Amino acid sequence: MAVNLATLLAVVGLPFLAAALTPFVYRFLGERTAYYAAAVALACLGLVASLFGTHGAVSVEWIPTLDVSLRFYVDGLSLLIATLASGVGVLILTYSGAYMHDEPGQAKYYAALLAFMGSMLGVAFAADMIVLFLFWELTSLSSYVLIGHYQRAGPSMYASRKSMLITVAGGLFMLAGFLVLHAVSAEALGSATWALFGDGGILMPENAAAMQTALADQGLLVPVLALVGIGAAAKSAQVPLHIWLPNAMEAPTPVSAFLHSATMVKAGVYLVGRLRPLLGGEEWTAAFVALGLLTMTVAAILAVAATDIKELLAYSTASHLGLIVAGFGFTSFYGAETGAFHIVNHALFKAALFLVAGIVAHEAGTRALNELGGLREDLPITAGIAVIAGLGMAGVPPFNGFYSKEFLFKAAWEYATVHEGVAFLVPVVAVFGSIFTFLYSIRFVAMFFGDKPDALGHVHSPPAIMLGPPALLATLAAVVGIGGVTATFGVHLEPLETFVASVIQATGGELGGGAHAVAASGAAGAAAAGSEFTYHLPTSRESLPAATMSAITIVLGAAAYTEYDALHARLDELISGPLTANYYYDGLTDGANPFSDRVRNAVQTRRLRTYATWTLAAFVALTLGAYAAAEVTLALPVGELLPVTPPKLAVWLVLALAGVGAVMVVRANSHVAGVLTLSILGFMVAIFYILSKAPDLALTQLVVETLVLVIFLLVLDRLPAFYGNVTRSTALRDGVLSVAVGATVAITVLLATATRPDSIASYFVRTAYPEGGGSNIVNIILVDYRAFDTMGEIAVVSMAALSIITLIALRERGETQ
Amino acid sequence: MSPPVAVIAPLLVVLFTAILTAVAHRSLRVQRALSVLGGVAYLGAVAYLFARVKAEGTLVYQLADWRAPYGVTIVADDLSVFMLAFGSFVGVAALAFAVVYVDEVGQRVSFHPLYHFMLVGVTGSFLTGDIFNLFVWFEVMLMSSYVLVVFYSGAEHTRAALQYVVLNLVGSALMLVAIGGLYATVGTLNMADMARRLADPAAFGITTLAPVLGLSVVLFVVFALKAGIVPFHWWVPAAYRAAPAPVSAALAGVVKKVGIYAIIRLYFTVFAPADLGELALPGFSGSGPLAYFGPVLLVMAIASILLGGVAAVNRDDIDDLLAYSSVGQVGFIVLPLALAAFGIVAGVDAPAPYGDVAGVSGLAVLGVTAALVYSLNHGLAKSALFLASGAIYDATGTSRLDRLGGLAERAPVLSGGFFVAAIGLVGIPPLIGFFGKFLVFDAAAVAGSELALGGALAGAILTITYVTRAWNRGFWGTPTEVVDATRTNRTQVAVVVVLAIAVVGVGVAFDPVLEAAIEGAAAALDTQGYVDAVNPDTTTSATSGGGHA
Repeated sequence: MAVNLATLLAVVGLPFLAAALTPFVYRFLGERTAYYAAAVALACLGLVASLFGTHGAVSVEWIPTLDVSLRFYVDGLSLLIATLASGVGVLILTYSGAYMHDEPGQAKYYAALLAFMGSMLGVAFAADMIVLFLFWELTSLSSYVLIGHYQRAGPSMYASRKSMLITVAGGLFMLAGFLVLHAVSAEALGSATWALFGDGGILMPENAAAMQTALADQGLLVPVLALVGIGAAAKSAQVPLHIWLPNAMEAPTPVSAFLHSATMVKAGVYLVGRLRPLLGGEEWTAAFVALGLLTMTVAAILAVAATDIKELLAYSTASHLGLIVAGFGFTSFYGAETGAFHIVNHALFKAALFLVAGIVAHEAGTRALNELGGLREDLPITAGIAVIAGLGMAGVPPFNGFYSKEFLFKAAWEYATVHEGVAFLVPVVAVFGSIFTFLYSIRFVAMFFGDKPDALGHVHSPPAIMLGPPALLATLAAVVGIGGVTATFGVHLEPLETFVASVIQATGGELGGGAHAVAASGAAGAAAAGSEFTYHLPTSRESLPAATMSAITIVLGAAAYTEYDALHARLDELISGPLTANYYYDGLTDGANPFSDRVRNAVQTRRLRTYATWTLAAFVALTLGAYAAAEVTLALPVGELLPVTPPKLAVWLVLALAGVGAVMVVRANSHVAGVLTLSILGFMVAIFYILSKAPDLALTQLVVETLVLVIFLLVLDRLPAFYGNVTRSTALRDGVLSVAVGATVAITVLLATATRPDSIASYFVRTAYPEGGGSNIVNIILVDYRAFDTMGEIAVVSMAALSIITLIALRERGETQ
Repeated sequence: MSPPVAVIAPLLVVLFTAILTAVAHRSLRVQRALSVLGGVAYLGAVAYLFARVKAEGTLVYQLADWRAPYGVTIVADDLSVFMLAFGSFVGVAALAFAVVYVDEVGQRVSFHPLYHFMLVGVTGSFLTGDIFNLFVWFEVMLMSSYVLVVFYSGAEHTRAALQYVVLNLVGSALMLVAIGGLYATVGTLNMADMARRLADPAAFGITTLAPVLGLSVVLFVVFALKAGIVPFHWWVPAAYRAAPAPVSAALAGVVKKVGIYAIIRLYFTVFAPADLGELALPGFSGSGPLAYFGPVLLVMAIASILLGGVAAVNRDDIDDLLAYSSVGQVGFIVLPLALAAFGIVAGVDAPAPYGDVAGVSGLAVLGVTAALVYSLNHGLAKSALFLASGAIYDATGTSRLDRLGGLAERAPVLSGGFFVAAIGLVGIPPLIGFFGKFLVFDAAAVAGSELALGGALAGAILTITYVTRAWNRGFWGTPTEVVDATRTNRTQVAVVVVLAIAVVGVGVAFDPVLEAAIEGAAAALDTQGYVDAVNPDTTTSATSGGGHA
C-alpha cells in the first residue's frame, strides 16, 4: 500500500506545532500540560499506527534548486523507530504529569519534549540526507535544552554542553559523510542526489550496486564509513564518545528514559541499520563489530563500577547500544536479527527500568546504590516491574533480552567459525561483556531485596500515574518473553515476528550475496525466502553454541556476583585518570580555556607596534611573493637621472635633502625635532612637484605641509616630551621592516611607471575644453568627469569636521558609558 | 533610454538622510524621525533596485552622462544587489536599535549623520564600477566608522580607535598606491574597462601584465584589513568592543562584508582574466591571479577560523567573544573563495545547480555562492548577537559573563533571540547558518580538499565550544544581582527578535535566497557579461567616440 503524504507531514509536523503552542497552553492548563502533550503523542502514535502496512517514499519540495525535498520513507525500520518515539512518548509524558509536580520550567520542558518527539519522528521517516541531518541536529538541540533543564545547577550545564559538543560535532562528521555520498552518487547514478529513497535514492535496491562500485572504485568506502560511523557513534554513545550519556542523567528522569535510553540514542544505531545494506562488507564488519563489542564490554564494566542507579542505567544503555551496533556489524542474517530485535527489547526493558529508577529516586529520595535495599516491602509493584525488566536486561531466559542476545551469540559464533583464528575472540568478548551485563542487572534488581538500610525510612507508594507507564512497558516485555516460550511449542507471536522481520529486511537481512541479497532486502511486502523471523528457546543443535555461551554467562555471572562489592570497589578505584575518556574530554575542554587565553594574549598584545609590524610584514611578504611569482623585471630608471646636467642636478639635490631628512627623522630625540625634520621631506616633495612642472600639486602640498606642521607643533606642546626607550633588537627589527616596506613600495612604483599603456587620459586631454569647458584638465576631472568622487571627498571632509565636534562634545562622557 | 535612476536611488536617499539629520540636530525628535524615515526609504529604494535588477538584469548608471570608462559608472548587478539587500536590512535594523540605545546627547551631536554616512560608504562600495570611486567610498565608510568607534570617548575607546585609525590609514595609503599603480599599468580606472584590458592587453598598448599581480596584492591587503582576515585582523576585537552595540552590529554585519564584496568583485570579475603565465613560485601552480590568491586565501582562511575560534573560547565579555568569533567566521566566508579560486585555476566542475551557470568552473560558482550565503548568515546572526549584547548591557549595566548569569530566567525573550542567533552561528538546521556551513563543506568536498574540510570541521567544533560556554555562563545558572534587577527595553528586544526570526526564516525559505546567491556568484564570475553591460568605450586613442551623449 502506498504511503500517504498528508499522514507523514502531520505526524512530523504536529509535535512541532504543539511545541510552539505549549507556552500558551501552559498558561491555561498549568501542570496538566503534561496530558495535553501526552494527547499529542497519542495522536502521533495513532498516525504512525495508520502507516503500518504501507511502504514506500513520498516527498514534497523544499529547496528545489538543491534538489532537497522533504522526502519521507516508510518501512519496517522507520516504523519501529517512529513507534518507539511516539509510543514511549505517550508513556513518558503521562508519567511526567506526576513526576514533574512542582518542578520549575514546565512550559519549556514540555515544548522541548514535544519538539524532540517531532525531530525523532523526522529522523525515523526522513529519506533525504539533508532532511535527516536537519532532524538529527534538532534532536541534539532539544536534548541540550532538556539535559540543561535544571539550568541553575552546575552539573546540568556541564552535562548539556558535553552532550551538545559531542553529538552536534558528531553530526557534522555525518554531514561530511553525506556530502561524500552525494558526490559519489553523481558518478554512480548519473546525477547527484540527496535522496536516500524514492526516485534515484542511493539506498534504493536498484541503485545500491552502482553506488557500491563507485564507492569502491574511488576508494571512498572507508572515509564514508569513518565519517558516518563517527556521527552514529557520537549519537549512540559508543566508546570513546559514550561519555556524554552518563552525565545526561542530570536531566529529569522521564527525559533520561525517553531520550537517553529509548529513542534519541537509537538514532545512531538507526543510521547504522539504514546504511547497512549499502555499506555492509568486510570493512563494515571490522569497524562496527569491533566498535560495538568494545562498547558493550567497556560500558558494562563501567556500569558495574557505577554507584548511582541512573548512572548504572546510562552505562548499561551505552553497552546495549554497543550490542545492537555489533549486531548490525555482522553481515549475516543473525546480525540483522540481533540489531532489529534488540532495539525493541532494549526500549521495553530500559525505559521501564528508568521509570523505576525515577520512582525510587522520587520516593526514597536517593539514587545511591549502597543506600538502597529491601524496597520490595514498600514498592511491591515497582519491584515486580524491576524484576521482569531487569532479568530481560541480564539476558536470563525466558525474559525478552535473552532472545536477542542469543542472536548476537549466534552471529558471533558463526562469524568465528567462518573466519577462524583471531575471529574466535569475537564470541569470547561477547560472553565476557555479557557477564558484566548480568552482574549489574542483578545488582540493580537487588535493591528491592535484602535488608532495608535504617537510614532509608518509610518509602511512599508512587501515584498510579507514575506506576502505569513502567507497568505497561514491563508487561509488554513479559509478553515478548512469553512469546518466545510459546513459540518453542509452535505458538508464535505473529504480529511481533512479522514486524521484526520487516525491520530485518529494511536493514538488509543477510548481506554478502551481492546484488541479489541487496535487491531482496529492499523488496516490499512479505518476507522473501530465508528472511523470516522467529524466536524461541534454544532447542535445536544449531543453537547449542549460543545456548552454551548464555549458560556460561549466567553461571560465571552468578559466581562473580557473590564478589560484586569487591569487584565494584576494585573497578571504581581502577577506572580513573588517563584510563577514562572523560580525562581527555575534561582535559581538552578545561585546557581550551587557558589555551584560548594564551593564544589571545600572544596574538592580541594590545600594542599598535605589534599590529603594525605584522600588518606591514604580511604586506611585504605577500607583495614581494607576487612579484616573484609573476617574474617581474625591474629596470632602475638611473638613465633618466644621468648624466648630471643642471636641471637634473636640482632633482639630485632634492633627493639628497629628502634622504637626509628621512635619516634625521629616525634619529630625532624629541617630538618637535621629529616633526620638523619630517617636514623637510614634505617640502622636498613639493619642490619635486615644481621641478616636474606641476605647480598646483606643489601648491597643495605646501599648504598641507605647512598646516600639518603648525597643528603638530600646537598639539605636541601639550604632550610629554618623553620618547620611549627602544632596545637594540627592536630598533633593528623596525629598521629592517621599514626598509622592506619602503623597498616594496618603491618597487611597486617603479614597476607601475615603467609602462605607458593607452590611457583614458588622452580622452580628457582631447575633450576637457570642448566638452568640459575648462582648460585645466585636473580641475575638469575633479568637477565634471569625476565630480562624484569629489562629492564623496566633500562628505569625508564634512565628517572630519563632525568628528572633531563629536570628540570635543563627548570627551568627558567616556566614563559614563 | 533614460538612465535608470533606480541604481543611484539608494545612495541618494541615504546621502540626503545623512545631510538632513546633520542639519536637524536641534531637535532630537525631528532628527530621529528623519533618521528612521530615511532608513525605511533606503530599504524601499534597495528593494526597488533589487526587483528591477532581477527583472531587467544588470543596470548601469553613467554619472553626469559621461560614458564609461571616462566618468564614474555605477553598476547594479546580481552580486551587488545581493550584498546590498542584506546589508541594508541589517544596517537599518541596527539603526532602529540605536535610536533607543545611544544616549540622547550622542545622538544629537553626530550619531545619525555619521551612521548614515557609513551606510553611504557601504552602498557606494557595493554599487560602484570604478576602482578610484571605490576608494572614495572606503574613505567615507572609514571616516564615519573612526568616529563611531571612538564615540564613547573613554580611555579604552580611544585606544581602540587609535589603533583602528592607524591601521586603516596604512590601508588607505596602500589602496592609493595600488590604484595609482593599476592605472599606470593598465590605463584605466573603470572596472569593466580594466577587465577588458587585462583580458586583451595587446589591444590597449599594455606591454606587460607582470606588475598587475603584485598591485592586486597590495589592494588585497586593504580588503583583507577591512574584512578582518588573519593576519590583518588586529583592530577587530578592540574596535568591536569599544563601539556602541549598534555600531558593532553594523561593522561586523555589514562593513566587514564590503571587504568580502570587494575581493569577490575585483579578483573574480576584474582580475581573473589576466594571463600572467605560469607562476614561478614553489607551491603555486596555474597562471592567473587566482592561482596566487587561491593558496593565500586558503591559508588565511584557516588561520582566521582557528585563531578566531580558539581566542573566542575563553572570553569573559560577550562583545569580546563576538569580536573574536567574527574573526573566525570571516574565515568561513573566505575559505570557499579560496576553493572557488582553485576551481577556476584547475577547471573543477561541480554538480547541478552550480555547473553550467556562468560558463565557468562549477566549483567556482559553488564557492562564491557559499561565501555569499555565509556572509548573509553572519550578517544577520552576528548583528543580532551584538544587539542582544547591547540590550543586555543596557538592562544590566554589564556585558561581562562573569557578572551575568540566569538571564534566560529574567529576560526570556531576549535570551531566546540570543540563543537562536547563536545556534545560527553553530549551524543548526534549518537556520540559515546551517546552509552557510553546508555550502562551505560542500565546496571543500567537491574540491577534494581535506585541509579545507578539516579546518571547517575544527572551526565548527570551536564555534559550538564558545557558544555553549557563553550560554551556560550568561544565560543559565542562578540569576546574579545585576540580572535580578534586569529591565529590558522592548524596542531593543524587538529588533533582536526580528533579526533572530530572519535567521530562521531565511533558512526555512532558503530556495529563493540560494537562487539569488547563485545568480550573484554567476554575475561575479561572468566577466564578459559585466563588461558588456557596462559597455565601456572602445575607441580610447581615436579622435571620435565617447563623450557626452
